[in-house]
Parts: sequence; structure tokens; C-alpha cells
Amino acid sequence: MTQPITKEEIEKIARLSHIELSETEIIAAMQHVGAVLSYAARVQEIAQDVNIPSLKNSNIEREDIVIPCNSETILAQAPEREENFFVVPVIIEGQ
Amino acid sequence: MSIHPFITIKELEEKLAKKEITREEILEFYLRRFEAFDKDIGSALEIFDKASILHNSNTQDGELFGIPGLIKDNICQEGRITSCASKILENFVATYDATAITRLKKAGALLIGRANMDEFAMGSSTETSAFQKTHNPWDLTCVPGGSSGGSAAAVAAGLVPWALGSETGGSVNQPSALCGIVGLKPTYGLISRYGLVAYGSSVDQIGIMARTVYDNARVLSVIAGKDSNDASMQQTDKKNYTQNLTGILPKNIRIGVVSNALHAEGVEPEIVSAIETALKIFEQQGASIKHIKIPTLDYAAATYFILSRAEAASNLARFDGVRYGLRNKKAQTLSKMYCATRHDGFGEEVRARILVGNYVLSAGHAAQFYNNAKKVQRLMSHEFKQAFADVDVLVMPVHPAPAFKFGAFANDKLKMDLQDYFTCAMNLAGIPSLSLPCGISSNNMPIGLQIAGPHLSEELLYQVGHAFQQKTDWHTKPPAGY
Repeated sequence: MTQPITKEEIEKIARLSHIELSETEIIAAMQHVGAVLSYAARVQEIAQDVNIPSLKNSNIEREDIVIPCNSETILAQAPEREENFFVVPVIIEGQ
Repeated sequence: MSIHPFITIKELEEKLAKKEITREEILEFYLRRFEAFDKDIGSALEIFDKASILHNSNTQDGELFGIPGLIKDNICQEGRITSCASKILENFVATYDATAITRLKKAGALLIGRANMDEFAMGSSTETSAFQKTHNPWDLTCVPGGSSGGSAAAVAAGLVPWALGSETGGSVNQPSALCGIVGLKPTYGLISRYGLVAYGSSVDQIGIMARTVYDNARVLSVIAGKDSNDASMQQTDKKNYTQNLTGILPKNIRIGVVSNALHAEGVEPEIVSAIETALKIFEQQGASIKHIKIPTLDYAAATYFILSRAEAASNLARFDGVRYGLRNKKAQTLSKMYCATRHDGFGEEVRARILVGNYVLSAGHAAQFYNNAKKVQRLMSHEFKQAFADVDVLVMPVHPAPAFKFGAFANDKLKMDLQDYFTCAMNLAGIPSLSLPCGISSNNMPIGLQIAGPHLSEELLYQVGHAFQQKTDWHTKPPAGY
């Protein structure tokens, strides 16, 4: 099977996806992702613009009703919190 | 008290109505079955305590009063963990009930636990679960299919009469077929997704698994219908899907056999022959059979790979270790924390799907992959629409071969992905499909039959399936030893 994806591409996509990968994982991902993409590329063979009327979708709206919610149940799930806030590590590097 | 483990919902109700049995006794019976058999099967990630199960449900009456069921672990049950079989949500406790759960509780159903699944519903064997394997009750060395493998295995082994799964590409129908039970993937928008953890939002649906078509329809009658919390729904009202199940095939029904599926490369002869036998049964009951082709079906898996991964990449971006779930605590900065958390929390399959998704959506590749896949999806919907002008329902295989061994596709993940070959087209077109047992292979494993229909044709699919089950007894044959 052709290998349509390079190591650099995997590294770039992993960075965009916010996923850290080790060297071994990058190599494995090249093969795995490459196989899926090689197969998926066949959609080009038949894809064409057609004049098919699209399904008639309509917006479904509802009243904006405020439902009381105890923020404590939400905050209780936080990996780290302080009072009513979620705590995260340093945002700007080098500070 | 006397209950046969493979008793139907209908029979349980009759016993309850005659006061031969109480809901406490039914629950006790099934809890004991989990204790006795689930060590070997591994269908459930958690079975709840008896008191809380009884307390959470309508104690007076309801359409499923006293009937236990198992819920796939990507459907929120308030106060219970909803892990999606992923380390990233291992300790996440749902803060609200999914709409399907609210309706089941109101109907008196007893929600007894959380079913194992492929991580984030990504897989076809339940092997990608971060926590445990689920074994096929027909042969413990085989997988139950997936991603709703825990739900399917529990129903097949008589540990519960019904279960909820979810489907994006084949995750209800494929495990149902591999375990010999009845699965329904409803029309897109028939069951509310409020409280279902999203994978591919333009296709995801909650699905139902049971041992008979009738029982499956009972559960759909409780959970289907519009919900203001899900704006993507069909505006259908509540309906009793069992009321027209006469057991007789609808008069003059036209059945279309999808010949390019039935005779696709790699479909085992035993599967073809079981389906051909089923067609003869339909013919004997007055159906007319027509062989048709859905040419885009051969491109369904490729289209599905692209669209599902693209949507997964955006949906799973929310798991970042900030508000809930796992966090890598060693990372010193926010961006490093995101990357380390998502590495540690997601398994290999989930990470690969996110990578594929972001690749096919990226500026240089979207035209080749994502945009083309959307075009093919539209062609496919159109082909189905044309097919349904000529026939009422379509029949084809669910799976190319009976359940496979653990690790069978460990070195060829693409082959595993292609398990969705016959089911993902219905998902892409948003049409309903029902799978039901139609045979047993020479190595004693179940074979499934898939019946698909136009949008909102669930009642018709059930009528066809129920009529089939009045003439066959595959659904009454449980795996040995339970």
C-alpha cells in the first residue's frame, strides 16, 4: 500500500490535535493513518457535483429558559479548582 | 417464582400483571445472572446496587415497569460514571440524565448498569475499551463485535432482556448480528441524542438491542420521539411500534436484495446462503423479490472513514483536562498539559481517528477527502431514495463473516475498520436498519440479516422482522451454557 503520509505530516497533525506522541507512536501512526487515508482516497473516483435537491432542513428553536443549576456539581468534576474557578497550569510559557 | 433466563419482555410483563412475580424478584434474578456469568463474558463495566436501581425508576407503573436493561457507557445516567470506556473519562460522573434515560426511568425500566464498549464507540470488536475485553457468549475466544459489544453480549447471554447501544457506522447492528440478537439503528433524529457522548454528530444514533423484534419495538416505543433538548431531531410524536405487529408480512411487500452487497468480495458462502434462505421465507409469505444494485455502497466505508473521523476530531477536542476527566499533572504549561493529557487519556485507536480527522479537514487535504466524501454521501442518499421508489425495504448482509477471534486484526487495522462495510451506508443516508438472526454457521456462530427502509420506516421494518420471526426460530436459540 502506498504511504501517503510523512513523519513530518503526522507530527504537524498531532500538534494541531493537541496530542503528544513518542517516536514509536509516530511511526505506528504513520502506518495506521496512512492505511486509512490510502483506502479513503477512493472517494475521488466517484465524487461529483450533482444537482440533487437537498433535504429540506429547517431550524428548530425552543424557548430560552433558564434552568437553575448547582455549579458545585460541575466544579466537583474539575481535576483542580479553587473556589468557583477551574485551575490550569501556566498559560504563557517562559513566565 | 419462575423465570427462564431467555424470557421475553412480553412474557415478563404477563407475569408481573398476574402478580406471579415482583419487580424486585426480577431484578434479583438478573443481578444473580451477572454475578454468575459476567466474570467470563465481561459485558458490564459496572452493575449498580439493587436499592439505587429500584429507587431511580418509576416505582408505580410504566410501559417497561420492572424490566431490567443495560446501558452503553456513552449514555449519561445522572450520578453514575459515564466513561465511554476511556481513561480520559474514567471517573467522570454524569450530572444529568440523557433524554432516553429520563424516558426509560419514567417508564419504570430498571437500569442495572453500564455496558462495556469500544473506547468512544470507535471500533468493531470492543477490544479498544481501556478497561476490559468482552467475550462473545457463543464462543468466549471470539469478540462480540462492537462498538456496542457489552450491550450485545449481555442480551445474548440472557443477562438482561434488552440494552441500549449507539451506532455511527455499524455499532449496534454488527454486534447484534455477531451475538445473534435483534438490533435497531433508527432513522437519524428519531431518538434524542441529548446525553449521548458525541462521536460523529451528523450520523450518531442511540440504538436498541433485544432478543426479539417485538421486544425491540417495545423499547423504541418508550424512547423515540421529539425532544426540545435535541435540535437535530425529526419532529415525530410518541408512537406504539408494537400495535401493528401482527406477525403477517405486509401485503404485496417488495423486497430489494442489494446484490453488490450480497455478492461482495469476502462475504462468506454461509452468510450468502443464510440470507438466500431468508429471502425464500419472505417469498413464501407473498413478498416479491427484486435484485438491485446500490453502486455507491462500494464507497460507503471510505466515505464513512472520512466523515466520522472529521467529526470525531472536532467532538473530542473538548476533552482537554481542564473541566473534568483525566489531567496529566506533570505538565508545566497549559499547552503541554493539553497534549500530555490527550496522549495519556486516549487509546491508540481514538488518537489515530483524531489524526485522520484533522488531516482530512486540513487546508491542503479537505478538497481531496472531506469535500469529496460529502459529495459521495449525497449521491448515496439519492441512490437509496431511488431504490425506495421501486422496493419497500432492502435486504443485505450485516457482516461478511461470523464473529472473529481476539486480535484477529491487530496487524491490519484497516480490515477491522472494514467491518462497517455493510452498515455504514445506512448511517450516512440517515435511514433505519434492523438486524436479526437468520442462521448459525458451521462453527456454531450466529449470522445476521439486515433489513433497511426509507426514513421513519421503523414500523415497517419491525413488521417484516416480526413476520420473519414467526416463521423461524433462530431468535429462540441461545448460546449453550447460560
